[in-house]
This record gives sequence, C-alpha cells and structure tokens, in this order.
Amino acid sequence: MSDRVEAVKKLFTSKSSRVETNKGDTYYQDLFEKCEARLNEMRAQTPANKLDFTDLLEENGIDRREFMKWASATTAMLMLPPMFTPLVADAAVMMNRAPVIWLELQDCAGNSEALLRADGPKIDEIVLDIISLEFHETLQAASGHQAEKQLEEAMEHFKGKYLLFVEGAIPMGMDGQYGTIGIKGETFHDHLVRCAENAAAVIAVGSCATFGGIPAAAPNPTGAVGVMDVIKNKPLINIPACPANPANMVGVILHYVLTGQVPELDSLLRPKFAFGYRIHDNCERRAHFDAGEYVEEWGDTGAQNNFCLYKMGCKGPMTFNNCSIVRYNEAVNWPIGVGRGCIGCSEPDFWDKYAYERPMADAKIKAPTGGVEKTVDEFGLGMLTAAGIGIAIHAAASAVAGKRENSGESHE
Amino acid sequence: MERSYKQVKRMTPAMRIIHWVNAICMIGAIATGLYIGHPYYQTLIADGAVDKYVMAWNRYGHFIIAIIFDVTSVIIAYLYFFSRFEKPYKKLIPNAQNISEFKAVLINLLTLNRKKEFDSSHADSFNTVYFTIFHILLIWMLLTGLQMYVHGLGSGISSIGAWWPWMLHLVTDWTIPVTGGTLMDVRIAHHITMWLIVCWVVFHIYYQIWRTIFWKEGDISIVISGTKFVKE
Repeated sequence: MSDRVEAVKKLFTSKSSRVETNKGDTYYQDLFEKCEARLNEMRAQTPANKLDFTDLLEENGIDRREFMKWASATTAMLMLPPMFTPLVADAAVMMNRAPVIWLELQDCAGNSEALLRADGPKIDEIVLDIISLEFHETLQAASGHQAEKQLEEAMEHFKGKYLLFVEGAIPMGMDGQYGTIGIKGETFHDHLVRCAENAAAVIAVGSCATFGGIPAAAPNPTGAVGVMDVIKNKPLINIPACPANPANMVGVILHYVLTGQVPELDSLLRPKFAFGYRIHDNCERRAHFDAGEYVEEWGDTGAQNNFCLYKMGCKGPMTFNNCSIVRYNEAVNWPIGVGRGCIGCSEPDFWDKYAYERPMADAKIKAPTGGVEKTVDEFGLGMLTAAGIGIAIHAAASAVAGKRENSGESHE
Repeated sequence: MERSYKQVKRMTPAMRIIHWVNAICMIGAIATGLYIGHPYYQTLIADGAVDKYVMAWNRYGHFIIAIIFDVTSVIIAYLYFFSRFEKPYKKLIPNAQNISEFKAVLINLLTLNRKKEFDSSHADSFNTVYFTIFHILLIWMLLTGLQMYVHGLGSGISSIGAWWPWMLHLVTDWTIPVTGGTLMDVRIAHHITMWLIVCWVVFHIYYQIWRTIFWKEGDISIVISGTKFVKE
C-alpha cells in the first residue's frame, strides 16, 4: 500500500523529461571547482589496475588530437559547457580508479558484447577497458570458488565505493530458482541484493536489467523483473536499450568519476542527457514522415529512397533515446540509418508493446484478459458490429411492436 | 381524436451550435486520427518532401480539432453547473427521483415504447447520463491526446513558453501508469476510446431517430430548431 501511495505521489511531483541545458554561470563555476578538487583527490589515489589510458590510446593508434575531439564531444553529450573538456579528459585517464563490479543475470550478454565486440576499439571502448573491472562473470578467468572469493574480496576492499553494473533481468518466479549462480546455488535475486548492499550506486544496463526486457515479455514464464523493482534503497541509474549504447555507459561512469554524483534522471531513472530526446525529433527521415512518404513494403521504391519507416512499424515517435544523435559503434550507424524501423528498445515492455514491426493500429495486441489477440481496429470494429446488431434487432422489434400498438390504438 | 400539441424549448442556440461543432469535429478527428495511426492513403503529389506536408497537415488538423474540442468542453462543463436554461448536473445526482426516471426511460426503450411512464417534455435522466458518458470519453481523449502531443516537446520548451509542456506533463502524465505503464499504452487507449466514441455516436443517432418515430414528439428537431412538441 505504501508503495502505491509513493507511486501516486511520484506521479504528480516527478519532473518532466525536460532537459535543462543551461543552469547558469554560477552553477557551472561551482561544479567546476568541485570536480577539480575531486579529480585532484583521485589523482593521489593509487590506481586499482596497472592499465594506462594514454599508453592504450597510443597502442591503438589514436592520437591526442582525436582524443581531445572525443573529450569535447563527450562534454557536450553530458550537457556541460566547453570549459569542462580538460576535466572530462582527465576523468577518462583516471577511470582506472573507478572500481566496477559487473553482474550478469538473466540475459544474452548483449551489453557485454556491445562493449567488447566493436570492430576496432574506439575511445569509448578503451575507456570501458581500463575501468577497474573487479568482477565480471563472463570476462574473468577465475571460476568456481576462486570467482566467489574474488567477488568477496572486491566487495570488502571497495566497500561503499564500487559501482555495481547489472546486466540482465531478475527471475522472481518459483522463489527465484529459475536463475542461480555459483557453487552455493544463490538465486539471482539474492546475489543482486548481496552485491548491491555496499555499492556506491547501482547501474542497470540494457533493457533486461532496467525493465525486465525480453525475459519479462509475455507470458513472462520466469516472472522476470528489472533491477528497479528489486533494489529500492540505493542510487539507481537505468541505461536501457538493447544493447545499451557504450557511449551512454561511458557518460554515466564519467559523470560519476567527475562529479561523484549520479546524473540528472527522468521518471524512469534514465539519465536525461541520454534519454531526454525523442528519436523521432532528431531522425534524418523526419521530413518524409511529415510529407506522408512511407515505405510500404521492404525493398520498394520508398525503401530505396530512404522514406519514413513509420508504416513498417517504426516506433521513433514514442521512444526516448539519443541513438538518432550519437548512433552506435562510434556514430557509424543506427537502426533507421540501415533502413529498418525503431523497435522502441529503450522503453518499458518494449518487446510486447513496441517491437511488432507494424503500426500500433495494425498490431495484434493481447487483451488484458490474456486470451484474444486482435488489432485495435479489429476490436473496435467488433464493438461497432455488436452495437449495430443490437440496434438492428431493437429497430426491427420496435417496428413490429409499433404496428401492433397502432392496431390496438382503435380500442382506446 | 384530435390532439393538441404544445411546443417546448429544449436546446438554446449555444447548445445547438456546440452540438454541431462537436459533430463536425468528430468526423474530422476520426478521419485525421485514423490517418495518423495508419496512413491509409499515399501522397500522390509529385513534389519533394519539403513541399508536401500530408502527415503534418493531418496532424495539424487533428490538433486544431482537439483545441476546438477543448473550448467546447470547457463551455459544456460550465453549462453543466451554471446554465440559465437547464443545469444538467441536477439530473446526474443519484436521488430517488432521478433513479426512477432513469429506469422509466430505460424500460421505455427496452419495452419498445409499450410503457412510457415519465415526462418527456424536459431532458430526462437517462439521456443526461448518456451525454455525460460522452463528455467523459471526450475528456479522456483530450488527456491521452495531449500526453502524446507533449512527447514532441521533449526539450521542455515551446514557442509559447516552458509553462506549456510543464503544465501538460503535470495534467496528463498520470495517464501513462493508468493505461499500462508505457507511452504505447496511451496510444492504444486513445485509439480504442475512438471506437468507443464511434459506438456511442451510432447509438445516439439511432436513439434520437427511434424517439422521433415512436414518441411522435418531433425529438429530432431539438438539435435543429431547439424545440420539440409534447401532447397537451
């Protein structure tokens, strides 16, 4: 009950998705000094690993100029004024002082893949390479007892300081027995709660960890939920999308390293710097939408001419994400750029409610009762037909009854 | 037997104007709304995308109609309580008189006009409840529609100031959790409510024609002349 009261309160007090891009000179001057002090403090600390960022850049053939270009782009993405660029560059170098524990729950490891399988490591990926990844089930060499020990040690050593990244949903059905981990058969739920206890902040990465994603799609056999449904008393940041954009992960970590705070979040706990934009409003095919020029089927003349994909089920008009601006794989491309619609992967329940690849009006949607699957228009026409039949019966009956009444009137 | 009829006033000119404005808006809103939901005709204009705004015009028309509906809704809400002619809210109070009148009118409809045990010279409780359902559906359409509209103001600014998206968020954000938790649910709800309104309209037209034929009081004239005739 108190949960519900809270939810209602939140409903009327939550800030809109408004992105405040200019908070005034005094604010930024203040923040600048804070960030500088914080970075100096970090510089004094010994790095948690021996990876050196500048060396890594050099090894990968990225020169200083390219790095500074990246730093200023990232500063802009974080909605900070240009004077923060040197600080962002410094923070990137000091990423090896940010301890991260990465949990892998019910998912396909797509977010880890997004980090690792880039065609050539670009700056975003290198930044994520040098973070002090203390524990990552998929990547680490250790296994079994050794892995458990490593996790224990990391949690003890960086108590209250580490960032907990979570990838994957949490199965709640059957007491969580759908997903267990480690030699003790700890359920994903207990594992997450234990690791979150001493974390500085929890960062849910990808649609599964944020909103349950594909594991939570109907009929949700494992009772999958997102991290925000389990962890309530910690600073929590959601970075949805399938997979989450490494640029946004870097943005959140950088923001944390730089300021020691979580970035400004919207009502779904997504950082506003990344999810304050509607895909539709920054889409390169928007002109075709307004003009009414749509791809009617795959490969038609419209498709060859980059027409709008709305009729092929593009969900850009109801999806908030920055992928139409920052794109994927270091701005190489993104779904609409390759000629297929957006499936709304950064929104809750996206698999059931967005990803059916046709306009909502044509999509078969489950009735709340679960059984029938009809399009909204079929359902509506069904209601209209029922009303029409009712009216026809009533009209016919009235006509017959009316005649009887007329013949009876003479008796009055 | 000769029967004499007396003419009774049922709708003021303002009410009739609002009725027809709403009726025309409804047709426009459905035509443009169905296009927005699923563009059902292609743009047969040999011009570049920058010159033809087929979807944009449909959306513009839909918004303008929504604004007209906003205005008539505010006027109707006012008239419900402060009309100098008839105050419809009085027929909505569930007191014994209204409940029995509601039942009597419903029985009249179900018994195919065999029983008619109520005074049909003034607006009855049944019809007032039915109209109120329509106004509630319309308010629901306005709220869900404005919620979808404010998605386009993600920057939090608008040409008339930041207060506008702020106000829309404040007033309509609750429709997201109420419809199911996602922005898509608001769209589905908006679309389904359109069909509910179409069903409402179909029965409304049928019922007014049915009354005109069987009551023999010229009810259909109310919305044109503002008057009907009842037996003396």
